[in-house]
Order: sequence, then structure tokens, then C-alpha cells
Amino acid sequence: MIWETTPMSPDAVSGLAGAWPAGRVRRALLRKRSRFGDGAYSALRWAGAGLFGAVVLGLLVGIGSDSSAAFAHSGVGFIWSGTWNPAAGQYGAGILVLDTLLTTAVAMVLMVPIGLGTAVFLSELAPRWLAGPLSTLIGLLAAIPSIVVGLWGLLVLTPIFANQVEPFLASVPALGWLFRGEAYGPSILLASVVLAVMTLPTMVSLSRSAFGGVPLADREAALALGATRWQVVRRAVFPAARAGVSAAVTLAVGRALGESIAVAMVIGNRPAIPESLTTPGATLGSAIVNQFAEASPGIGTSSVIALGAVLLILTVLVNAGGQALLRSGSGSQAHTAGALR
Amino acid sequence: MSAILAPSRRELVRTAARRSLRRRHVMGRVFQGLCVVAMVAAVAPLVALVYYTVTRGVSTLSWAFLTHAPTPPFIPGGGISTAITGTAEIVGLAIVLAIPTSLLAALFLFERSGKLAAALRFSADVLTGVPSIIIGIFAYAVLVLPLHQFSTLAAAFALAVLMLPIMIRADEEAMRTIALDLWEAGIALGARRGRVARSVVLRGALPDLVTGNLLAIARAAGETAPLLFTLATPLAAMTLLIYTDGTQAFPSAQRTAWATALVLLSFVLLLSVAARLVAWRISRRAH
Repeated sequence: MIWETTPMSPDAVSGLAGAWPAGRVRRALLRKRSRFGDGAYSALRWAGAGLFGAVVLGLLVGIGSDSSAAFAHSGVGFIWSGTWNPAAGQYGAGILVLDTLLTTAVAMVLMVPIGLGTAVFLSELAPRWLAGPLSTLIGLLAAIPSIVVGLWGLLVLTPIFANQVEPFLASVPALGWLFRGEAYGPSILLASVVLAVMTLPTMVSLSRSAFGGVPLADREAALALGATRWQVVRRAVFPAARAGVSAAVTLAVGRALGESIAVAMVIGNRPAIPESLTTPGATLGSAIVNQFAEASPGIGTSSVIALGAVLLILTVLVNAGGQALLRSGSGSQAHTAGALR
Repeated sequence: MSAILAPSRRELVRTAARRSLRRRHVMGRVFQGLCVVAMVAAVAPLVALVYYTVTRGVSTLSWAFLTHAPTPPFIPGGGISTAITGTAEIVGLAIVLAIPTSLLAALFLFERSGKLAAALRFSADVLTGVPSIIIGIFAYAVLVLPLHQFSTLAAAFALAVLMLPIMIRADEEAMRTIALDLWEAGIALGARRGRVARSVVLRGALPDLVTGNLLAIARAAGETAPLLFTLATPLAAMTLLIYTDGTQAFPSAQRTAWATALVLLSFVLLLSVAARLVAWRISRRAH
């Protein structure tokens, strides 16, 4: 009964609170309270968390078990084997994986410089009255449903690409070989452009919050040394925000890999090894969209679900990496990812 | 010797410094110009998207279009009423499933720190990035295949799974804005934890909770891929109708797709703007 014989002065109490981290105080309080039960509330909380945990496990188990027939049929080679020919009973995700990676890579080449420039403009250059409304606009772009972007790509961009953009690109001297072949319109390039539009808001908001985490003093110190704005950004802001920007790119990649409906509308859906960027292709997502309805029950459906399993593994790896980067960047930035989606 | 060299050397340094300064200023200008170009390039697709959706959709839009049921192809006078009510039903049901679950799970994460909470938090973050089409396959695997029928329930389940991780993380963030002192004060007053959660945490975080949940709902309402695997007919949701009509070659079908896209876009942007207004009002009140 120490606390009875030596009553604590207010100073001692506040000293204690200062010495104990807030989390420890909270946990100590919790332990005390939980002895008295509060049963119904505790049970509800556990139920909510348990339900969510069950959904996560169910997702993994459900996709895993329904795709097992396909993996039993085609072996692990399903992931890299090139043929997708349901009529001949041949199922392989190889070409689809290749096209998925290719569209994502081209989309990133197009999107990252624009996204980074936009983020720099919003966080370093623009006056506040301009930066606010512009970021709201970019945020609204994130809210536009992918089907609307797909419709725009299909009905507006496709003719422009077939008649103007692709013939023009094919005629560029040094790069023409990248765009050779018939200009159909629907193509890997068009899919990449649509993906670039869709991943831009992710990139901009996450990079912006990474730049926001760089202390103002770093910028002021660089300015005081006579640095121009460009030098401030390059020497002070970029190095400090590197983890955050990498996380932004990684999460944008994750989003691009998994986007299916908009890609299915503009890529032309031809699972063959691409001859150039202007030829049609098929990604994992677009193949699932197109093959699902016509898949024969049993092995056909299971193979389509197995495409989903491959895509799931790919995106989970990329997103886990992105989240880890985000956490290493800064504690507070980890939250922006959740708020963003 | 040095007396002769010194001035010219100083001159050399001076011109070099001047040249370097000029180069730095030119580089700075170029960089600023590129950033402005990037900004314009980022906003241009947004403007183009909205412009095309409005101009191509608005002529088809009418009260009858919104309230009449779809007609078979090539018979004029059809509307999209079934798609609007279908989307409303699916999203409504998904909200009923997702909001209570996510709130409770977020309270769990808020009050606990430990391996289990960390694992759940990480799962939520990763699940947020899982493609929606995979969640559609999941709903197909657990609800459509075993029951042998496509259903509104399966679609709502898919959208609920989609919203759940987004809502959990947004809710937890909102709860974290409540000062820990308040929570501790509540406990110290002898209130049960459920009571503190209700009167302190949820009440205090309410505006932020509303913002986060509205954004999650806006995202789910615009999803197409999960519905592809769970609904029997494209007439049962706006996004599916846009997909099937938009990919047809007939101008009449494409007009319907544009008009439906306009309705969907207005709805989603309205939700998103509402969410931002709530957030803006809070931040203004706080200052």
C-alpha cells in the first residue's frame, strides 16, 4: 500500500505521466478496466476485427482453392507458359503477364515525370491560392470511375490514336520501330495512356505529402546558400522525400497492374507476343474480363480464376513493398495512403 | 609575375561565376517551365474527360431517360431506371454491411496496440490495393458458385469487401485525431469503454468519419469489375450498362452509355465534393 503512505504530489503525478509514454499509460488503464468486463462492447469489437480478418483469409483461401484445378491441370508453368488457347485446352498466363508488365511500365514512363512535376509545382512553386484548388481538381480525377475513363478512351481516344497519334509516332525517325505495324487504335500504347491518367492522382497526392514532410528549414538553408528553386528541389527536397516518392511510384504501379475494365476497353484483347507498342494486347485483368463469360465450366473457369490468383500475388507483393516504403518514409505518411483510396 | 597574373585570374573567376550563375538561373527557369507544363498535362485529361462526358451525354439525358425502364435494342424510348435503382440497392446494401463492421474493426485497432492489430492494419493497407476484379472473383467464388445464381447480394458483398479496408483505415485515422487525453479522461471518470467509444471517440471523430466513409462509398459506387462476376444482367447497375452499351458499335447504344456515364459521374463527383466540404468545414472550424 505504498500509495497510501506516500501520497503523490501533483508534480510527481505529472512527472510520471511525462516519463511514461502515452501508449503505456493507456495500456495500464486498459488492463485495469478490462478486469471489470464491459463484455458486450468488447465482443462487438472483436467481432468486427474478426469479420475483417475472416474476409482477408477467405479471399486468399477462396481464390486459392478455386484456382487449384487450373494449377493441377497446367502445373506451376501456368504462370510463365505463353499459350492461352482455351479451344485447345491450353491455358497459360505468360503472354498476359508480359503485357501486364509492359503496359504498366509504359504507363509509368508517361506518368511519373508528369506526376512528379505536378507534385513539385503544387508543393514548391504554386502560390497557395492556386495550389489548393488545383489539388482538389487532381483529387477529383481520382474519384472518376474507371469505367468512365475507359469509355472516354474507347470512344474518344481510339479514333484519334488510329488516325493521328499512331501514324505520327511510327514516322518518328529513331523511335518508329517501337510503333510499327498497322494502326488499329486499340493497343498497348493506348492502354498505357489510360493507365497513366488513372494512376496520376495517386502519384501526385502521395508525392505531395512526401514533399510536405520535408522540413521547411532544409529549404531555407538551401535558399540561404544561394540555391535556385530548382537546386532547392533537387538537393534538399528530393533526397529527403525519396522514400515517399518511391512509395508513390510503387503504389501507382500496383494500381496500374490491377486495373482491368478500362484496359479491357482499349487494349484490343489479343493475347499474342506484342510486335510493337501499337499492336493490340491483353493483360491479366483484361483477359479475366473478356474470358470469364465464355469460359467453359470447370477447368476453363478455374483457369480464369487462376489468372486472378497470379494478379493477386503480383499486386500484393507490390503493395506490401509500397506500404513498407511508405512506413520507412515517415510515420505520418503511412496514413495518407489509406485516405487516398 | 603574380602581380601581373592576379587581375586576369580574378577576371577569370568572375566570368566563370557569372556564367555559372546565369546557367543556374536558366536551369531554374527551365525547371519551373517544365513543372507548369506537367501541371497542365495532369489537368488536361480531367477537363477532357468531363467535357466529353457532358457534351455527349447531356443531349440524351431527360426525365424519361432517368425514370423509364430499358427497352430492347433499336426500340426507342428506353431509359436506365433499372440501372439507377440497381446501383442504389447494391451500394445501399454494401453500406449496411460495411459501415458497422469497419467501425468496430477500427475501434479495435484504435484501442489495441500489438501484433494482431498491426497485422490487421497491414492487411487493410494491402487489401486496399488489391484489384477490384479479384474481389469480384472472390464474391463469385463464395456466393455465386455455391448458390448457383447471380444476385444483388453477391454484388453488394463484393462492394462491401472493397470498401471495408478503405473505411477501416479512414475511420482509424479519424479516431486518432481525438486527443488521447479525452479518451483517458473518459476512462478515468469510470465510464465503460463502450460508453467512451460512443460518447467521446465516435462523437468527436464524427465529421472525419463522414468524410472518409463518403469517399469510400464514392469509390465503390463507380466500380464495374466486381459486378461483372456477380450480376446476371448489365441492366442491373449503371457501371455495367456503360460497359455493355459503350462497347457496342451502334450510335444509339453509345449515346445511352454516355448519358449513363454522365449520371454516374455526377453522382460520384457530388459524393466526393460533399466529402471534401465536410472536411473543409472541420478544418475551418478548428482554426
